[in-house]
Amino acid sequence: MSLETTPTHAAIAEMPARPLVIEVEHLDGHYGPRQILFDVSLTIVQGEIMVIMGGSGSGKSTLLRYLVGLERPSTGTIRLLGHDIGRLGGTAMLNLRRKIGVAFQGGAMFSSMTVAENIKLPLRELATLNEKTMDIMARLKLEVVNLAGFGHLMPSELSGGMLKRAAVARAIVMDPKLLFFDEPSAGLDPVVSSALDDLILRLREAMDMTIVVVTHEVESALKIADRITILDKGRILTVDTVEGVRHSPDEHIQNLLNRRSEQQEMDAAAYLRRLSGEA
Amino acid sequence: MVENIGRGAVRSLDEIGYAAALLIESAYWVAVGHRLRQPVRAGAVIIQMMQIGVHALPIATLLSATIGIMLAIQSLYSLGLFGAESFAHIGIALSVTREFSPLIMGILIAGRSGSALSARLSTMSISQEVDALRVIGINPVRFLVAPALIGMLVMVPALTMWSNLVALGASGLYVAGALQISLAAYFDGVIEVLATDDLMHGLGKSALFAVLIALIGVVNGSLVRGGAEGVGSATTKSVVQSISAIVITDMIFAFITTR
Repeated sequence: MSLETTPTHAAIAEMPARPLVIEVEHLDGHYGPRQILFDVSLTIVQGEIMVIMGGSGSGKSTLLRYLVGLERPSTGTIRLLGHDIGRLGGTAMLNLRRKIGVAFQGGAMFSSMTVAENIKLPLRELATLNEKTMDIMARLKLEVVNLAGFGHLMPSELSGGMLKRAAVARAIVMDPKLLFFDEPSAGLDPVVSSALDDLILRLREAMDMTIVVVTHEVESALKIADRITILDKGRILTVDTVEGVRHSPDEHIQNLLNRRSEQQEMDAAAYLRRLSGEA
Repeated sequence: MVENIGRGAVRSLDEIGYAAALLIESAYWVAVGHRLRQPVRAGAVIIQMMQIGVHALPIATLLSATIGIMLAIQSLYSLGLFGAESFAHIGIALSVTREFSPLIMGILIAGRSGSALSARLSTMSISQEVDALRVIGINPVRFLVAPALIGMLVMVPALTMWSNLVALGASGLYVAGALQISLAAYFDGVIEVLATDDLMHGLGKSALFAVLIALIGVVNGSLVRGGAEGVGSATTKSVVQSISAIVITDMIFAFITTR
């Protein structure tokens, strides 16, 4: 497995000069009655790709729910594009949501609509465009995610990778400033997963979006991230560049990175021998 | 055990409060949605009306005709004990319009559409489709709940009215044949007996049932936990609660308005 950084990481050097678009301060997060996040503070600058990593139950998905406004913070603050989402009223929150796109883990496409209807839904509900313009915009977004010609299909007729790309097309149809991905590589084979990583990088380059990706895939994170936030048991272990994370002396962080590497480099024959008790 | 009862009671109160909030929020979107440029879409309402009402017509017709004939058989038998078969139309007309049509249509729609609504919403919740609506900026109550509620409110009374016609027609055919009288004579008797109040009594109840079915379906669907098992459980709960609520409300309604 290659852990080499891509040229995009050089962009991090310019990041501090850019404005902050996401600011999280002392956030305590809950899922139901349980506290999941503890005193989380984080800033993300415009145009950055921030990857949030962590093991199962580390709180990364909960943090994402807070970042996209699905949960309102009771302790701490979250500012998106300068707006404190804990204090926004209905109309202001709606206006803010138009600048946010989210691609959910399973796609979350509406199963009763075709792919094209799914993509047009935000336009139909939030903008005043005629049908022809919406058709054109849906077609353009499908082309961006390499799904041209698939708009007439129902979501159930798409493969896992296509479904995720269709979800990206819907997430970017309003040309958002912030784009969030929840586990984009989950359940995908390495080739499709890599293609999705390339799509994320292209979107940043082409649309100058700020992108937040929640994932547990180390290879994917090292490929696309400008900076990586690592969560453990609801607390931030580190926020650092890819190089910084790779060379971190922290044992937890190295465990997280190496556990994945070992899995990927495992020899199939040795694995089978171990299973059968020969080794 | 006492603790469990207490927890159950608190949860039930919580759900009733949630249902009330959904009802108020739906009414809000119907009233001001257009002004906020977020209308409750007529297309979505029509789809709901088709699914709840039009697609249920065959089974509603069959059940209503069966109920009408069954009532005719029982009325002729019981009144025949006193030689009063010629008064059968009175009991049939009042029973059908005030009781049987709204009750049977309520139970039918609870089993057919209330369960479908609950299954749809719970599946959407589990697959994060409801979350997707929220992050897009589409209020799920406006988009999902209000059309279902309006569809129910229009179609359950409409089906009840249709059920009145079919049940009275079927019972008329049976009674006319059994007593060797004309169908016109039977309906003359029915029209003479029935007052507008009797029809309104049944239609009022059916509107109440419509609200109960919709809200119970939505509450169970949106509070779902777990995967496929959760969907099944929410759907079953929805049907059982809806039918129980319909029967209990029917009794209370009759107690208040009929004595």
